[in-house]
Formats: sequence, C-alpha cells, structure tokens
Amino acid sequence: MPPNSAGGAIVVPPATGLAVRAKVGLVRAWPFLPAGLMLALLFLVPMAVMVVFSLWRTTPDFDIVPDWTLDNYAYFFNTPTYVRTLLKTLIMAAAVTAAGIAAAFPFAYFLVRYVSPRWQRAVLLAVIVPFWTSYLLRAYAWQAILGPKGALNQLLTGIGVTDEPSRLFIYDNPGVWLVLVYVYFPFAALAIYASLEKFDFTQLNAAQDLGARPDQALLHILLPQVRPGLITACIFVFIPILGEFLTPALVGGTEGLLIANLIVNFFRGLQYTTMAAFCFIIAALVTVLLVIFRRYLQVEDVVART
Amino acid sequence: MDLLRKPYSRRQFLQVTAGVSAGAIAAACQAGASPTPGPTAKPEGTFNWMTWSDHYIAEQLDEIKKTAKISTNITELADNADGFAKLKEVKGQLDVISGDALWVPKYFEEGLIDAWDINSLEVAKQLYSIAREFTIWTKPEGYLGYPFGWSPILITYNPKYVSPAPDSWQALLDPKYKGKIVTENQPVEVVAYMAKAAGIKDPYNMSEAELAQAKELLLRLKPNVLKLAQQNTDTVAALVSEEAWIATSNLGTEDRVKDGGGPEVISFIPKEGTIGWMDAEMIVKEGKNKALIRPFLELAEQAEWIAQNFIDYGRPLFNEKAYQILVDKGEKERADRYFYNKPETVQTMTLKGPGLSTQGAINVFNEVFGA
Repeated sequence: MPPNSAGGAIVVPPATGLAVRAKVGLVRAWPFLPAGLMLALLFLVPMAVMVVFSLWRTTPDFDIVPDWTLDNYAYFFNTPTYVRTLLKTLIMAAAVTAAGIAAAFPFAYFLVRYVSPRWQRAVLLAVIVPFWTSYLLRAYAWQAILGPKGALNQLLTGIGVTDEPSRLFIYDNPGVWLVLVYVYFPFAALAIYASLEKFDFTQLNAAQDLGARPDQALLHILLPQVRPGLITACIFVFIPILGEFLTPALVGGTEGLLIANLIVNFFRGLQYTTMAAFCFIIAALVTVLLVIFRRYLQVEDVVART
Repeated sequence: MDLLRKPYSRRQFLQVTAGVSAGAIAAACQAGASPTPGPTAKPEGTFNWMTWSDHYIAEQLDEIKKTAKISTNITELADNADGFAKLKEVKGQLDVISGDALWVPKYFEEGLIDAWDINSLEVAKQLYSIAREFTIWTKPEGYLGYPFGWSPILITYNPKYVSPAPDSWQALLDPKYKGKIVTENQPVEVVAYMAKAAGIKDPYNMSEAELAQAKELLLRLKPNVLKLAQQNTDTVAALVSEEAWIATSNLGTEDRVKDGGGPEVISFIPKEGTIGWMDAEMIVKEGKNKALIRPFLELAEQAEWIAQNFIDYGRPLFNEKAYQILVDKGEKERADRYFYNKPETVQTMTLKGPGLSTQGAINVFNEVFGA
C-alpha cells in the first residue's frame, strides 16, 4: 500500500488501486515537469535532430539531403587522424582528471580536517573566485603567462634556469594540460570537499585503535565512503574535457588540438551532417562513460562489509 | 523579511517554485520577441542587422537613431559560413546581413536575399563606378548588395628575422621559419593559400589531385605554424611580441603592429596572386523591416562616416568620395598604401567564396592538423 505524505496508509479499493497509484505518482512527479521539459526541449530533441542529420549527407552546394547513409560514421572510423585525435582527447581528459584529483583530494582533506569552518568558507570562496571571470579571459591570461615573453619564462630566465624563453609551456600538449588542470581544479575540489565534509573522522581513529595503519584506515575506511565525491569529481572533469575547444585553440598551437577543434571545422565549412555524426560519437561515448561512472556512485557500507 | 521567515508547506513551496519557473520561461520568451515598428509616413523603427563589428561606428548609429529614428539591433557575424547558416534558419528575423564576394550570389541563389537597384540611392553616386558593376553581384533582377569594403590577404614579415625579402607563398614553407608563422584558424582559407603556393588556379574548386597537392604543402607548413590565430588581434599580438616572424593577414597589419608597440613589419602580395574579400550589405528577402533599410543605407554610407571608418579600421572601402575626405584630412599616404585609390585591384584577387571543394579542404586541414 502506498504510504501517504504523513507516513500513514491510503486505503483504496483494489479495482481503483492502479489508477490511484498512477494519480499519486503524477502528483508527486509534477515538480519535475519544468526540468523534464527543459531536458526534453534542450537536450533530447536536439540530440534526436543531430542523430537524424548524422545519417543524411551534405551536397557540394551545402544542402542537406535526406539520403540515409552511414558514410559520415564510416568516414570517422576509416580516417586514422580522427580516431587518433579522439584517443588523444581521452588520454588528455584522463591526465587532467588524475592531476586534478591528485591536487584536489589533499587540498579538500586538509581543509575539512584542519581548518576552522570560518576559514574553510574563505578558502572555498578563493577556489570559486576564478569563476567570476570568463573562461575566455582566463585562457587568454594563461597565454600571457606561458608565452615566450610571459611571466613564467621571465622568471625562469631571471633566476638563470633557462638561457632563453622556453616553448615547452605553450602551443603544445603540456600547455593544454596545465591550463585544463587549472580550469577544472575547482570542480574537483568542490565535489571532493562536499563528500569529505560529511565524513566522520573519528572512524579513522577507531580504525587505528583497532590496529589499522594510517594508510590502511584511509584506504579501507575513508576512500569507500568518499567514493561518490571522487566519482563526481571524475564526471565533472573528464566528461567536459571531451568537448574542450577553447583551451586547445588558444594555447595548443598546432600540436595540442583535441577532437572538438576538428569537429568545429566542419561547422565552419557548413558540413553539418559530418559534424553531427562526429558529435554523436562523442555523445555516445559520454553516455557509456556516465553509465560506467554511475555504477560506482553508491556509497560502500564499510560497516556491513564482511 | 517576515515573509522569508514564514514556514512553507511542501505544497506551497512547489507552487511558488513552479510559478517562478513559468515566469522565467515567459520572460525569456518575451525577451526573444522582436518589436515590429508600425507603419508611418516616414519609416522609423529598429531593424536587425548581422554584420562584422568594423562595418559601423557607435557614433554613426547613435546619430542615425537621433536624426532619422532608425535604430539597429546588431548581431555579431563570425564568418560567412556562420552567417549563411544562421540566415537559412532564421530568415525574416534578420533584415540585413553582410557577406563576402562569392558568398553574396550564393545567398541569392538560395533565395535568401533581394536583388535591387542600388542606384536608387543617392549615396551610391559616391561609390567608385567599378563597385556598382561587379559581374558576380549583377543579376537581371538587380544588384545583390551595397558594396562596402575589401582587402587582399597579404603576407606580413619582420625584416629583422626574415631575409632575403620574400615575394612568394613559398616563404611560409621554408624550414628555417619553424614555429615562427601565424596564420588564421580558417581551414578553407589556409588550404587555399597552399593551393596558391602550388599554382592551382581555383583554390575553392579543386580536384582530388589538386587537393592532394595542397595537402602536401600543408604538411610542410604545419611545423612552421606557431599557432592558428582565432582573430586578427592574435596575429598582431604575435608580431608585436616577435613570437611570430611571418603572418598571413589583412591590410593594415603593419600599422596595427606599430600601434601596439611592435617592430616594423612589411606586407606584400605574393607573386602567385592572392585570395581576397570584398563585402556588401545584403537585404534579406523575408526581412520584416525592409522599409528601413534604404533610408538607413542612405545615411550610414555617407562619405564622412566611411572616411571615419577607414581611419578607425584601416582597409580600403568602396566610397570614392570618402577617399577625397581622407586626402583632405592628411590620410592620403595611408589610404594609398592600403590601395584605397585602386579598387580595380579587387579584380586581380581570387575572391573568397563557397566552392565545390570546401568539404575536401576541411578534410585535408583536419587530417594534417589532427593527431
């Protein structure tokens, strides 16, 4: 029997039980209507249009004609450049995610465990402050910092580490990695912080009282309980990087381009059907990754574990 | 404040949030709607113009708004393909759109713009006669757009590092300039430069064999490219900081580099010929505010404004009378250096436009610059 909002029971005749359940379900679901509508209109419908476009073709006159074909997908998988660039994008996303979490986890741990709540708020504000300026400006600022005449090179030449400005930091993959780590660090830090904040740190003391080494306590007590935070951080960092365009375009030079930089060129040439197919491949990949990530979002019950 | 402290039931909370959401959606829809001016004896109102930011000056628009009560609602135009795609989608939501060279007849063939008699405007008499007679813009129904400006694509180099003085597209391929070249992030154009370097006649309509030739040169260009500039200011900044020694650019880069505190640089038109653009303001066929366009052009295209536009943005424009104003203002040297007084140069350029090998050019570009 479905419980009512007060926690009691609604008694219904068996014949009308299904209808009432449906009605109760609808009443409870209506708050999701605005979000559901937005999801349908701004995500599902465009995605469906994109899939349809990806199965059509563009004529040399830039007209899109509904000739059903898999040619756009075949072009992607038959051209090694695109497959290689997609793999490179995945590696870049993984490298940025790993670095972001490696930096964010100790940061959030220290913040939650050793910093007073008042100072925690101040530090978190400092983490969020970069969001107050536009992404474009931040990426351009990095161009100025990492460039041959930028602050970093001036420092290195000033203290005698290098004789002349180094090109290592910009217009190549390391520059893209560095800027992406900077851009996505707050997402990782906030997700992990939110998870650590709920953790009862006395459990670590209890584990050690029972003979666990500190590393064992962290590995077997802390990590399983903050896993949702870590997975959320992975989702917030890894997934958006698959569609990163701006940072590679500004600091990647000709060597640091990612898959989105190639896709946007199809838009510039009005090759919408090819573009749609490539975008759908990325979207499908993201969906698969989200399904995989979702499996690990449950908090592990370390107390009940045998 | 009491209202904020008052406890809400779940039902009340949901009702309020639903109301706020509905209100927000309604407000967003309202904001997107465009007011339509009512019919008046002398047309007044606002029209929608998709254009590049150098096609107007703020004071010019303010003045027209004040005197003629015609305002503009401007949408920034990224490039020709972007404008073409957007107009196909929104059609009558725009009234005027700017476009380059061979894109203009493409708009007409697609039924997106009107052909009209530009000579019906008094201000058209101020144009160089050649600008009123471009074959590619002439149709039996009329002229396809009001001519505005033009420029060849040049190679600009820093003589401190680049010697002997280059005169060809081949300079971009010289291994001694590894990592010292900046070119625009415009795949079709960059492939067209390589086509020019290879001596291919029609860089926008290449055969498979010609595309393969261009690709070969593009592979040689890639290691020399420091970065693909997102906009002209990136190119200028790279030349100013001397990060780049060579760049492909529009007219006026020397001055912009100098103004930015950079070194003296030299620009030239490669001996194999170059790509170029010339643009026009096109009247959208289904535009809802057409009555405003000709009165607006009559005022906006006046020589005084065009001369000021040249001073601000530095590239040749098609208004001959404005050239005289520039001469009178002591700008002759700069105007001549920018070919302002030689509009016939346009006929020596390969004009930008959509071609049959666009897809091939993008594939070539991606295959070279991808991993």
